[in-house]
Amino acid sequence: MLRFVVRRLLLLLPILFGLSLLVFFWVRALPGSPAEGLLGERATPELIAAYRERYGLNEPVYKQYWSQLQSWSHADFGTSAASHRQVTDEIKDRFPATAELSLAALLFAVSLGIPLGFFAAKKYGGLVDHASLFISLIGISIPVFVLGIILKYVFSVRLGWLPGTGRIDVTLTVDHPTGFYVLDAILTRDWTTFKDVVKHLVLPAVALGSIPLAIIARITRAAVLDVQNEDYVRTARAKGLPPLTVDRRHVLRNAALPISTIIGLQVGLLLSGAVLTETIFSFPGIGRWLAEAIFNRDYSVLQGGILFVAFVFVFVNLIVDVVYALINPRIRVS
Amino acid sequence: MYPRSYSVPVRHPPGRISPERRDPISLAEAEVHEIQLDAPTGLWREAWRRIIRNPGALVGMVFIAALIVAAVFAPLIAPHDPLAQGLNDGLLRAENPSRDYLFGLDRLGRDQFSRVIFGARYTLLIGLVAVGIGLSAGLAIGAIAGFFGGWIDSILMRVMDVMLSIPGLLLAIGIAAMLGPGLTQVMIAVGVAQIPIFARLLRGSILAQLDNDFVLAARSVGVRRWSILFSHILPNSLSPVIVQATLVLATAIIDVAGLGFLGLGPQDPSTPEWGTMLTDSNEYLQVYPWLAIIPGLAIVVSVLGFNLIGDGLREALDPKFRGRA
Repeated sequence: MLRFVVRRLLLLLPILFGLSLLVFFWVRALPGSPAEGLLGERATPELIAAYRERYGLNEPVYKQYWSQLQSWSHADFGTSAASHRQVTDEIKDRFPATAELSLAALLFAVSLGIPLGFFAAKKYGGLVDHASLFISLIGISIPVFVLGIILKYVFSVRLGWLPGTGRIDVTLTVDHPTGFYVLDAILTRDWTTFKDVVKHLVLPAVALGSIPLAIIARITRAAVLDVQNEDYVRTARAKGLPPLTVDRRHVLRNAALPISTIIGLQVGLLLSGAVLTETIFSFPGIGRWLAEAIFNRDYSVLQGGILFVAFVFVFVNLIVDVVYALINPRIRVS
Repeated sequence: MYPRSYSVPVRHPPGRISPERRDPISLAEAEVHEIQLDAPTGLWREAWRRIIRNPGALVGMVFIAALIVAAVFAPLIAPHDPLAQGLNDGLLRAENPSRDYLFGLDRLGRDQFSRVIFGARYTLLIGLVAVGIGLSAGLAIGAIAGFFGGWIDSILMRVMDVMLSIPGLLLAIGIAAMLGPGLTQVMIAVGVAQIPIFARLLRGSILAQLDNDFVLAARSVGVRRWSILFSHILPNSLSPVIVQATLVLATAIIDVAGLGFLGLGPQDPSTPEWGTMLTDSNEYLQVYPWLAIIPGLAIVVSVLGFNLIGDGLREALDPKFRGRA
C-alpha cells in the first residue's frame, strides 16, 4: 500500500511541474506585460519598473521561472490589485467557505443520489427507475446558474423560506476559530448560529450539488444493475441469505468501486461550479473571488486562485485514488 | 466497425407480417422472410434504426430540430427586430409577458421572444465551433499519441494531464482571460478546454484497435502506416468520439453561457446571447422573473436535446446493445 502511495505521489511531480509552467506562461501571455497584468490598471511606470526589478522580470526567462517557483513554494502569489491584500491571506479567508459549500453539495448529492440510483436499479423499469432517469437527465442538463437563479427566486424571493445571499446573517457577530462556520457553531455550541449558517448553505448546496446528484444516481443505477446479475449475487441469494444482507455485502460493496470513482471526479465539477454558484448567492468563497477577479482583471488573484484550485483538485484526486486502492485490492497489487 | 454480426434477431417492424396476426403462413416462414430482409446491415444503418425507436432520442431530435429551425428562420419567426429598443411606447423599461409580447420586454424595451429566437443562432454556433475546435485538435493529438506511442505519446499525454488538472470551467476562464472577453474568444476557450477529453478518448480507442487482427493483417501485407491509421484504425475508433462530441455540445453550451454569465461573453450588450440575457435580467429577478427564466429554459431545452441524442447514440452504437431494439 505504501508503495502505491509513493508511486502515485511521484506521478504527481510531472503534473505539478507542467502546471507551474502552464501558469507561468499563461501570465506572460495575458494582455499587456506581466507587470501591468499583475499590478492591474492602476500601474504607473515607476510601479512597473519597481515590480520588474523586484520580481526579476528583466532576467532571462528560465531564471524568472526559477524565482517564480521559489516564491510559489513559499506560498507567495503576490498581492491582489483590487484589495491590496496578500493573495495567500485571501485564500485562507475564503477557502473554508468554498470547502464547506462543496462538502454540503457533495453530501446532498451522495445522500440522495446513491439511494435513488439503488432503488431505481432494484425496481428496474418501474416508476422509481423512470423518475430517477428523468431527474438525472434534467440534473445534467440544467446549468448551475439557471438552477441557482430559479431556486433563489422561488425559495428566497417568493416564499422567503431560505436566505438567498451570503453565508451568515449580518446581525450575527460570532467568532470563527476555524473559518468553517458550521463546525465553529458546533464547537461553540451556538445553535442559533448553527441554524442560520445551515439555512444559508441549503440553496447554494442544492444548486451546486444538482449535477453531481444526477451523475451519481446514474452511475449507481448502472453499477447496481451490473452487479446484480453476477454469479456471486445469485449464489448468495440461492443459499438463502436475507435480501438485505445480499444487498449490503455483495451488491453494494462491489458497486461501491465505480461509485467512489465517480464521486471523486465530481470534485472538479464542484470547484468550477462554485465560481457560478457563489456569484449567484453572493457566497464569500474562492469562486466568487475568482469571478470578481475576472471582472477586475485582477491577474495575480486569478494566477494564485487557479494554481490553488488546481492543486486542491490534484490532491483530492490523489486521495480518491488511494481510497480506491484501499477498497479495491486488485489496484494495489498491479 | 465492430465485427459485423450476422445473427440478426427477429423483429417485427410495423407493416410486416407478424406471427400474432395469425396469417396463413407459419411462424417459421415469417421468420425466414424477415431474416432475409434484415440481413447484413451496416453499423450506421442499424444504429439509425435503433435510435429512431428510442423515445428519448426522438424527443431530443425534436428539441434540436426546433433549435435549428429557430436559428435558420429567425428573421421569419421573430415578430420584432431583436435589437429594436423601446417597443414599450418608446420607454426603455421592462414589461411582463403580454399578448403582444409573448415573453415580455427586457429592460431596454426589446422583445424578449424575438431575442430568444435569434439567440438560437448563437447557441448553435457556439456549440459547433467549440466542439469543432476541441474535436479536431483532440483527434489530431489523440491519433498521433495512440498510433505512434513511445515518447511522443508520453509527452502529449502528460500535457493533457496538466490541462485536466485544472477543472474544466476554470481552464476556460483562464484561456478567456488570456484572449480577452468576447464571444469568439469564449468559444475558443471552451473548445480548447475540451481538447484533452477528446485526445484521451481517441487515444484509448486507437490503442484498443491496434491489436486487432485486421490491423495486423494490413501491416503484414505491407500497407503503409498512415494508410492503416486513416483507413483501418480511425474509422473503427470513432463511435465513442461521436457520442462524446454530442454530449460535449451540451457541455459547451452550458460553459459558454456560464462564461457569458461571468461577463466574459459578448461585450456588445445588444447581442441576444442567452447566457448574457440571463445575466442582464438577474438583477430584475424580483419584478420580472420571466426575463431570466425564459432564456434559462431555452438553454435547458437545447442542452437536454443534445444530451438525449447523445445517450441515444451511445446505446445505438454500443455493441453490447446491438441486436436489441
